[in-house]
Amino acid sequence: MMKKILFGSLFLIGFILTGCGDDSSADGGEVFQYGAQTYSDPKIMGQVVKQLVEDQTDHEVEITEDIQASPQIINALDQGEFDFATLFSGEVYNNHFDEDKIEFSTDPQKTIDQAQTLFDEKFNLNWYDSIGFNNQYSITVPEEFATTHDLQTISDLSEYASDMEVGADSAWKERENDGYRDFVDEYGYEFKNVRGMEISLMYEGIAGGDLDAITAYTVDPHILENNLVILEDDQNFFAPYDASIVARNELLENYPEVSDVLDSIVDSISTKEMTALIREVDINERSTAEVAEEFLKEKGMLE
Amino acid sequence: MELVSDYIEFWQEKNNVIWEYTYQHIAISFIAILFAILLTVPLAIYMTKMKNNFIKNSIFNIANVFQTIPTIALFAIMIPFLGIGFKPAVIALFLYALLPLLRNTYAGVQAIEPDIIESAKGMGYSPMQRIFKIEIPVALPYIMSGIRTTTVYVISWTTLAAVVGAGGLGGLVLSGIGFNDQHMIFTGTILAILMALLLDFFFASVEQKLLKR
Repeated sequence: MMKKILFGSLFLIGFILTGCGDDSSADGGEVFQYGAQTYSDPKIMGQVVKQLVEDQTDHEVEITEDIQASPQIINALDQGEFDFATLFSGEVYNNHFDEDKIEFSTDPQKTIDQAQTLFDEKFNLNWYDSIGFNNQYSITVPEEFATTHDLQTISDLSEYASDMEVGADSAWKERENDGYRDFVDEYGYEFKNVRGMEISLMYEGIAGGDLDAITAYTVDPHILENNLVILEDDQNFFAPYDASIVARNELLENYPEVSDVLDSIVDSISTKEMTALIREVDINERSTAEVAEEFLKEKGMLE
Repeated sequence: MELVSDYIEFWQEKNNVIWEYTYQHIAISFIAILFAILLTVPLAIYMTKMKNNFIKNSIFNIANVFQTIPTIALFAIMIPFLGIGFKPAVIALFLYALLPLLRNTYAGVQAIEPDIIESAKGMGYSPMQRIFKIEIPVALPYIMSGIRTTTVYVISWTTLAAVVGAGGLGGLVLSGIGFNDQHMIFTGTILAILMALLLDFFFASVEQKLLKR
């Protein structure tokens, strides 16, 4: 009796699991997968890709959101689980390649060139030219603090750093090249304490006064919303993070019509425009689909 | 072999950082568990003597509610009240630890045969003597199993403390995920597992010792 029940439940589990397969699209095309990180710009770009591909081809795009970090997305692309993503050129310095293959540079062109060559070689990915916006690390402080102490650049912080609690994303403390340890070498001062934490919670921390500075991403509308100012990176320390659409080469060869759509996204959204779109999503709490559609229509990319 | 030597090199390079994360992890989970035990064990014993069912149920329901809030949400909810870092992390974990400890201790004391209590009364034991000489020793396997499961849970949940800036081994794992470093992910995970196993083993031997007496 017990055995029957056990086999019955195992059968049920197997049945449910095999049920979760993929289907083809309504128009007889393929269903492609887009993977987005936890923050809003890749999610909005997912909608842009989805709506353009579905408008101009017979294919459909499914979006999976809130993948914890870009390396996981690259893994999924490598294994063919995802077909597209939005990645940032500085990702090329994120421990994917042997040190002798890659040269750290803060030059945007050199960075995206390396990303295009290396990701093509190792992961067989097509890294498109920049979408037009970038989203990089910056040191950000409350406006009031900046005005009272007349701060413009990161170097200006050196006098106050030893009393400052800084919030950063968890990886920043341990990163090579553009992480905290190299920051200390480059700028020549240390903060009192650097806490790794969830990006969205950093803003709560600085609004509540627990943090004195945070490593915000430049495109984030929470910077303005919380009356923060970005200090100029006067030593040119932070790596450039220009956003690009990334797609699997194999897919582009088989479906050139998709490649044409993705080509049209290159150089189409500026940093300012993206900040405005993220604001609609993060602050005004509208859906990414609605915001992307409105933008594409305004630009005449969608009817 | 290269894998092993790479990993040894990683430890040599990072051992300061690794111990810092480990130390934070121990501090957060230890304090949360300790406070939770100190509150719940006496409270649960007191509750078994309580006549008022309404208060008793309310206490269980409150502890239950904390248990049902998703961990990551509870950490986030704490921030406006308690700021970031150590404090919200410890308090959130403390709240999570309440229910399993309360339930087990209560069930253990409740399950004692009324005859045993009656005979203790007959032998002239005072209420305090009954608690320390009869109830706690008899209920000990229940209490200890509550402490053991809770400890394992809390150590695992403490990895989420990194989200609110309290550090801990979760910080190492998240750094590894963000910076694409498998060594960091592996180290953070394995240390958390070891810590949970060691403490579980420790409490098991404490239980053995206490039962023998």
